[in-house]
Amino acid sequence: MTGLLAVYKKEMLAYFRSPIAYFVVAVFLVGTGYFFSYNMFMSGSASMDETFRNMGILALTLLPLVSMRLFSGEYSGRTMELLMTLPLKTWELVLGKFLGAVTILLLMSAGTFIDLVPLYLYGNPHTTTILTGYIGFLLLGMACLAIGQLFSALTQNQIVAALITVPVLLSFWYVGHLQSFQTSYVLRSLLGYLSFAQHFADFIQGLIRSEAVLFYFLVSAIALTLNTSYLQWRR
Amino acid sequence: MNNSSPAISLESVSKRFGSKTIVHDMSFSVEKGEIVGFLGPNGAGKTTTMRMIAGFTTASSGKVSVAGHDMSSQNEEAARKLGYLPEHPPLYDTLDVSQYLRFVAHVKGVPGKEIKSEIDRVATACRLENVLNHEIYKLSKGFRQRTGLAQALLGKPEVLLLDEPTAGLDPGQIQETREVIRSFGERHAVLISTHILPEVTLICSRVAIINHGRLLAIDSPVNLQRAFEQTNRVLLSASAPAEALRAELLSISGVIAVNSRPVPGMDGMLNVECQTDAREGVEAAIARTVATRWNLHRLERQQPTLENIFLRYVAGPSAAETPP
Repeated sequence: MTGLLAVYKKEMLAYFRSPIAYFVVAVFLVGTGYFFSYNMFMSGSASMDETFRNMGILALTLLPLVSMRLFSGEYSGRTMELLMTLPLKTWELVLGKFLGAVTILLLMSAGTFIDLVPLYLYGNPHTTTILTGYIGFLLLGMACLAIGQLFSALTQNQIVAALITVPVLLSFWYVGHLQSFQTSYVLRSLLGYLSFAQHFADFIQGLIRSEAVLFYFLVSAIALTLNTSYLQWRR
Repeated sequence: MNNSSPAISLESVSKRFGSKTIVHDMSFSVEKGEIVGFLGPNGAGKTTTMRMIAGFTTASSGKVSVAGHDMSSQNEEAARKLGYLPEHPPLYDTLDVSQYLRFVAHVKGVPGKEIKSEIDRVATACRLENVLNHEIYKLSKGFRQRTGLAQALLGKPEVLLLDEPTAGLDPGQIQETREVIRSFGERHAVLISTHILPEVTLICSRVAIINHGRLLAIDSPVNLQRAFEQTNRVLLSASAPAEALRAELLSISGVIAVNSRPVPGMDGMLNVECQTDAREGVEAAIARTVATRWNLHRLERQQPTLENIFLRYVAGPSAAETPP
């Protein structure tokens, strides 16, 4: 556990000492603010539904910028040699980095609370729906970060890591659209099950379905396990 | 640690990348209190061997153990006993030196209360006191190298692996770094890779010479030199006619070959190089013979340098013939 904590602390220091975290959080908040006001004025309803959907897409494109440096940066900075020779378990390294990235995700989410102020001042929003929306957003973000972290471990180049992650995440988001072209029931259900967007839609509507929670946890766990195994194999 | 087990031990270790074998069947060990120099030209397999000992890569076959722990199964236990400075110091540019050292100390399991004193200790040893609060990317190459060394010294590891620790340092810093390594080596086991030959003679108790991934020799510098003393070189300067001097020298038993050159600008003076065998008293005989007939200005016996020995091993006998 000491190792995990040390890695986590180091990650947090690294985030706040490089411009990328500030940049990603800022762009995300500006984007969310824009969509929030747009949705509010267009629909005139005091809800976060549409904004959550936009936040999902924004996270899909911005979180790879957070995850891209996680291992690629260690390879190119030649610090991987240190990490792999310190008395550190590979899973501690992988999880420490992941938790660091999740902390940035939490900060991003917390930043959007500002949008809730006018919502509560001038409207009568549904608090539990907003709460489940945030839970869904965090789970979605965690899955995105875990996948991004895995791709970051596969390449020395941070840009390449981000460029692979974005289309993969977008595929997971839009894969549900392929459902309508399928005649086979199994294939249709599978495509639906794999869809990031469909599971997220449940949360936005105020539902916490165990299937959806399990799905996001499963995706994160699989990506992190592959990440750990890859690093061990790499020795 | 099992007290009887060597600090570092390699048993028939090989490393293959695809069809290419980088390290062939290498076996040697390093004991506690010993500084072993790892010598070899670029691409000889030094770094790969270091990386296998450090646990960064695993051996394709054979067994590597550190402080009695098998690197293939007890990697983490071994890592606790190990300080490693890779060829390129592994530094986080955005962190301060103290933050970086704190991170490494944490991971190495230095107890929280002792971390500060431990960082102070290594910072003093590596002369980093004045840059502890500097961001690493602002440091000069010498300071970066020493920050890397400080990281390796954290937690007083039993085994220290240093891959070219003095690369990029100025002469003063090299001196200081050698002192740090020397003082550390008194109580611990140190394996240091380098291609700076004088460094090896100055601080190492044994030298391992490797080339093309094979261990060619491992012994103390003195023993390596002795092994090469079968043929010696005696250099002399004398004022004498070349042919007569040559004939006289060759008549001395033990002199194998004579090669003379006139000294430019000094009329009648010759620089002579004699190849002799290893028997005792050849120089004395040469000195007597020359001095009785002519003017002898200088006579010295040239011992084989580590450089010659190294070249003999890695490039075959012909390379060592040319004096440096």
